[in-house]
Amino acid sequence: MIKIVKRDQPSRAIFFFTPVLAIFLTLVAGGLIFFVLGFKPFEALKFFFIVPIADKYGFSELLLKATPLCLIAIGLSFCFKSNNWNIGAEGQLTFGAIVSGGVALLFYEQEGFYILPIVILAGAIGGMLYASIPAILKTYFNTNEILVSLMLVYVSKLILDYLVVGPWSNPEGFNFPETRQFSNSAKLPLLFEGLRIHAGIFLALAAAVISWFVFYKTYLGFQMKVSGFSLKTAKYAGYKGKKMIILVFLISGACAGLAGVGEITGPIGQLHREISPDYGFTAIIVAFLGRLHPVGIIFASLVVAITYLGAETAQIFMQIPKYTGQVFQGMILFFLLASDYLLFFKIKFIGSKK
Amino acid sequence: MNTNLKISNVTKIYPGCVANDNVSLEFNSGKIYALLGENGAGKSTLVKILSGVIIPDEGKIYLNENNLKLNSPLDAKKNDIGMVFQHFNLFETLSVFENLIIDSDEQRESLREKIDTIMKKYNFSIDLDIPVLNLSAGQKQKVEIIRCLIRNPKVLIMDEPTSVLTEQETSELFLSLKKFSEEGILIIYITHKLKEVMQLCDEVAVMRRGKLVSVSEIKNENIESLANKMVGQNLKTIKKKKAKTSSGQLIKISNLNFTSEDPFETNLVDINFSVNRGECLGIAGISGNGQSELFQVLSGEIISEKNSIEFNKNYIGDLNPQDRREYLMAFSPEDRLEQAAIPQMKIFENVALNNFKSSNFFNNGLINENKIKEHSKKIISDFNVNTDNIELKSQFLSGGNLQKLIIGRELITSPDLLICFNPTWGLDVGAINYIHETLIKINEQNKSIILISTDTDELLKLSDKISVIHKGKLSKIMSAEEVTSEKLGILMGGAN
Repeated sequence: MIKIVKRDQPSRAIFFFTPVLAIFLTLVAGGLIFFVLGFKPFEALKFFFIVPIADKYGFSELLLKATPLCLIAIGLSFCFKSNNWNIGAEGQLTFGAIVSGGVALLFYEQEGFYILPIVILAGAIGGMLYASIPAILKTYFNTNEILVSLMLVYVSKLILDYLVVGPWSNPEGFNFPETRQFSNSAKLPLLFEGLRIHAGIFLALAAAVISWFVFYKTYLGFQMKVSGFSLKTAKYAGYKGKKMIILVFLISGACAGLAGVGEITGPIGQLHREISPDYGFTAIIVAFLGRLHPVGIIFASLVVAITYLGAETAQIFMQIPKYTGQVFQGMILFFLLASDYLLFFKIKFIGSKK
Repeated sequence: MNTNLKISNVTKIYPGCVANDNVSLEFNSGKIYALLGENGAGKSTLVKILSGVIIPDEGKIYLNENNLKLNSPLDAKKNDIGMVFQHFNLFETLSVFENLIIDSDEQRESLREKIDTIMKKYNFSIDLDIPVLNLSAGQKQKVEIIRCLIRNPKVLIMDEPTSVLTEQETSELFLSLKKFSEEGILIIYITHKLKEVMQLCDEVAVMRRGKLVSVSEIKNENIESLANKMVGQNLKTIKKKKAKTSSGQLIKISNLNFTSEDPFETNLVDINFSVNRGECLGIAGISGNGQSELFQVLSGEIISEKNSIEFNKNYIGDLNPQDRREYLMAFSPEDRLEQAAIPQMKIFENVALNNFKSSNFFNNGLINENKIKEHSKKIISDFNVNTDNIELKSQFLSGGNLQKLIIGRELITSPDLLICFNPTWGLDVGAINYIHETLIKINEQNKSIILISTDTDELLKLSDKISVIHKGKLSKIMSAEEVTSEKLGILMGGAN
């Protein structure tokens, strides 16, 4: 007989084990799906998860995709750890990209060391501004941040659309929906000749270190955490709870904005319609898979980045629709949430002794 | 006709706890039965099984020798088992009559007649056509009772019915219940209040940790014997010594008003009182009469005019809680799980919520974890919190242990004044005793307490002076020795 028993307290080991279990179950379920679709499961999984990163170029692509995921997820971890459900990182990314792209366009004919820092800063500020909308509405008007932040994603995409088609479109661009190329001074330097990986990765790593420090070591981080769990408690402790909520949104928006900067000033070097393959949404999965911990998030961003690459490889080599990438991302989150049950309950097998 | 209700070998297991462990009980009409136990003893589970809300894992229920299958509350109703829950299930905006007709199959006219007869018979006077939200708690409860009586129940179960009632409403309720019982309705009365059991019931069944520990007749019991059975150990009785006469004023509230924008909050009107050193001021009242607002104004969660609060010769009305702590005030709010502590955080993190500057929990913006942990360990040992793991999330502490931790956290900085709001709400007798002892000890050290509580017995036990809050106004302050629970009851009901 199988019996489900409540744990006295959540198991620490299980806490770190469930993400691994979730990935394993995702692979099994993914293999099954491939099988049902008529593909050879092992071969498909190989094309999905191994082939894409088997060479130097693939590895660089992996890091390239993991960078924005990691950066956004780090920012989101501030929100999620304090119970603020910002799911509009995609919008903050887009708006950050718009603002930094606008600044970069101002300098399109100029060169200079000072341009890149200004462009980066503009992106962070853009993301912060955009994240401040759901934050202020939540704290002062009691709106639901999930709805507001989500809906603003579509607003920002439409603004971007308008800009690249209309006022900001490249005058010499034959009406393609894109802006001019930024000047080289407004682009993040590439790290290796011939590979697309760029300096944005350092921004992601720095964000990880800083977030660890702030959240685990500072009074500010402690106040954010308390305010997130309960505004009533924050008030009782004497913290400025509402300001803390706004602050986590700003941090999260800044990170998403920086990810946007990385996308447009990295390999692409201009604003166009589709600057992000939903990094802002996928980063939610990364944040949870990484247990909202910086180190976890770094690993999780690598794992989830593979699904982007794998989807493309599998489409090219096996004619598997590339949307299976999203299926994999969905399954990871699904299995992660499901296996979290084990945090609080354990399964006991009871022999029928009589 | 005699009604016989039999519970036979009922077991209900939840993951991690056995709520009912092989419980067998027998009830006969003509008597009022008490089901007594602490929170978590399993009495609510048992009652929910009787009313069809929960289906037991094992065991059977017989009504007059018929095996009942109670798979839903509807089944219970069909089998003439009526139940009045602790929290009312009424639609506030509908009229009393509309509430009653919802789950009745009768015609409007005949139902109205029936209700009128019931009300006449038991001396209830409720206007059937006003919305429920205009009724007092006692009247709402009567509506719930009428709802049961319409169906001519054989069994009537009352779950902690007096928790929202005034003293007067309670005695009215008891009269009605005795009348029902005389008319042959079998009454099961669930409570953890020993005094009520002694007053009302004929037989008492005591539960502890899911098990039935004893069934006995009331005439063979007294409050001490029942308390000991309920807790499973002998309790010492505690008594407060009278405070030494006035050794100087500590806090003075003058002309304090609070007007809320929230329609569900109570406005405070012209609050004036003072507390001397070594004194405990009790503030009685039925919940929802401004206690929560008063607590927040005193703690600084709601800021008021600077001059309205004078503490130790400083005007502090405009300070937030953290700044007030520096003046040696401490606060223990009513809501342990949503305000005083954060269940998802570890014990030592919860300790850091009381950030008293000289305890050095945070230096230059950084967390000084060692200091906090050291401090937490001291609280745990000084205040008997039953755990040795300060890394434990506080949600895994029992209510009593969590409250000890909170009181300990507030007291370890040895404040001059502790303001607490329902400090023993929902705790078991053992923990209540401990908290009461602690509060008495504070007074003995010449420190003061403002005790806001809805538990009249607690107030009479601990206070030197008592005032009653009603609709945001304080009554005059009375010496605790002159006051009786009856007098408090009258004031709590709003009379002068």
